[in-house]
Amino acid sequence: MHVDVWHEVAESSVGKAGLLLIGLMVTLAVFAPALTPYTPRENTDAPAFSRPSEEHWLGTNDARQDIWTQLLYGARTSLSVGFGVAILSAFISVLIGGTAAIFGGVYDRFWMRVVDATIAIPDVIVIILVAAYLRPNVLLMILLLSTLYWPGGARVIRAQTLTLKERMHVSAARTFGAGWSHLLFRHIIPDLGPILVATMIQDARRAVFMEAGLSFLGISDPSVMSWGKMMQYARVFTYLEVWKWWLLPTGIALSITLIGLSFTGFALESALDPRLRGKVKGHEGGI
Amino acid sequence: MQDLEMRHLESPKVGWDYQKATARLTSLVRRGAFFSNYVIAFTIILTLNFVLPRMMPGDPLQAIYGEEALLAMTPQLETELIARLSLDQSMSQQFVAYILALASGDLGHSYYYNQQVLAVILDFLPWTLLLTGTALVISTLLGFVLGIESGYRRGRRLDKTLLAGLMFLNGFPDFFMGIVLLLVFGVVFGMVPLSGALTPYSGLEGFPLVLDILHHLLAPLAALVLVRVTSAYLLTRNTMITTLKENFVLTARAKGCSEGQIKYRHAGRNSLLPVVTATGLMIPHMITGALFVEIVFSYPGVGWLLYNSLLTRDYPLIQGILLMVTLAVLVTNLLVDLLYSKLDPRVSHAR
Repeated sequence: MHVDVWHEVAESSVGKAGLLLIGLMVTLAVFAPALTPYTPRENTDAPAFSRPSEEHWLGTNDARQDIWTQLLYGARTSLSVGFGVAILSAFISVLIGGTAAIFGGVYDRFWMRVVDATIAIPDVIVIILVAAYLRPNVLLMILLLSTLYWPGGARVIRAQTLTLKERMHVSAARTFGAGWSHLLFRHIIPDLGPILVATMIQDARRAVFMEAGLSFLGISDPSVMSWGKMMQYARVFTYLEVWKWWLLPTGIALSITLIGLSFTGFALESALDPRLRGKVKGHEGGI
Repeated sequence: MQDLEMRHLESPKVGWDYQKATARLTSLVRRGAFFSNYVIAFTIILTLNFVLPRMMPGDPLQAIYGEEALLAMTPQLETELIARLSLDQSMSQQFVAYILALASGDLGHSYYYNQQVLAVILDFLPWTLLLTGTALVISTLLGFVLGIESGYRRGRRLDKTLLAGLMFLNGFPDFFMGIVLLLVFGVVFGMVPLSGALTPYSGLEGFPLVLDILHHLLAPLAALVLVRVTSAYLLTRNTMITTLKENFVLTARAKGCSEGQIKYRHAGRNSLLPVVTATGLMIPHMITGALFVEIVFSYPGVGWLLYNSLLTRDYPLIQGILLMVTLAVLVTNLLVDLLYSKLDPRVSHAR
């Protein structure tokens, strides 16, 4: 029974909602400079703590900076970290999980031991510890998070590759003398598609959350514009009315991104899990 | 492997059984390998704890003790500290000194609180235990019941509403959920206190004190439960969906069991095992979630302590907290793994 996973995700209401939310955030992040006349650190002419107006859609903060602008540029940071970690950790997962499955033997056992040990480490704690000393910027944060997130994906990719490598077209390529990189990139990876994307979405979600969390704790690079940091600053002023257009919108933007990712991931995982899949249109399956 | 198992079944039950002995040996080796994961993980954290401050540019003493300590630093204290940390010796000797100190329960000295790190942490720990413990129990029970009801009505309106609603709540980061509850119920309605775990200097005792503590616990607890209930819910719902397809459920239906009996006594009970294990695996998430929620509500637990030590750059305290939390998380995971193979014999055989 062949299932078009992508089609199923785009058809389900949860998947649709997720893709829509992610699309919205990506649009805001990409077109940030076109959507605002200010820059995030610019001290505008408006007084501090001014209410939302036509010039300042979400008012200004204590340093007379435009909050809407900061929100847009915060989206850039969050999404860069999310996409960066998803891509880098997926790359490492495929490289290690895939080669471990192809080569087998001691090489396989070595990497699976590394994977098991890394998964046992409580990631949030290690990240806080390292960040407390290094105050990571976007690039360092992507590296740090990917180092901790790749093992989960590697385990899944290895299991999948083990079944894929027994398929006819892979054996055929082997008899023609194909090397491991050719097998991996030409024959295995194209078939890994949906599972790979599912792990990438999960990694992205954890990364966006962690970036916001670290900034909220005040242990990321101070020069990076981030939603977590905006919330940390705004939290101090809850006794004023400003939280309505400073704290809330920022938190909602962060939540929308996370919800978009988890909805899409959920739709994808339900489509991949045969036990949870509803009846497939046009094909009942079974006897 | 399968072949070996088959022969094992056929072999006679008397005398010294070669297959059985090798099977036991392999299972021992596997248990050892499985235990070693935790040892390796803990070693990595210890090494990070040791290496990070010594890797920082500048004076290692400053990196280890933070700026707070340098204000109180006298030449006499400095020599004492250098001797204590063996900073004048080679890296390997420093590492040995570090491990020996840890083994004797010495997590270092916090200069901000002017107390042993362990003592400071133990002061704040009870509130975190109260918060995470109640949150864990409530979110598991709630998730279990909602999951059963939802899985039983798969595809109907209640199921769809619950699924979308809880997935939506799960999307919120814990600290934002905390902020929303704080703003709505604390600032706007004034129904819950804005900070702390009890009213200071109230002189309350007995039952009023318990009420006061619960009143302070309510909002942080609600924030944690709302965000974290989803994993128990989703797991129960998924297990429920597969369990309902089993033959014994059909038998129960044929016998004329009532809906409630089928839901809870037959299908629900069989969905319980994965939920119990998942509860154990949720503990680390619960702890880290509590760290963030405590900060929002200034709830005097370990998370709030961590936040303060990050602000004051009290490095011995930061390291001590993170080490204790790691230890707690690793030990729980290990126990859950062991308990799981005890509860479900299929797991220990299937590996």
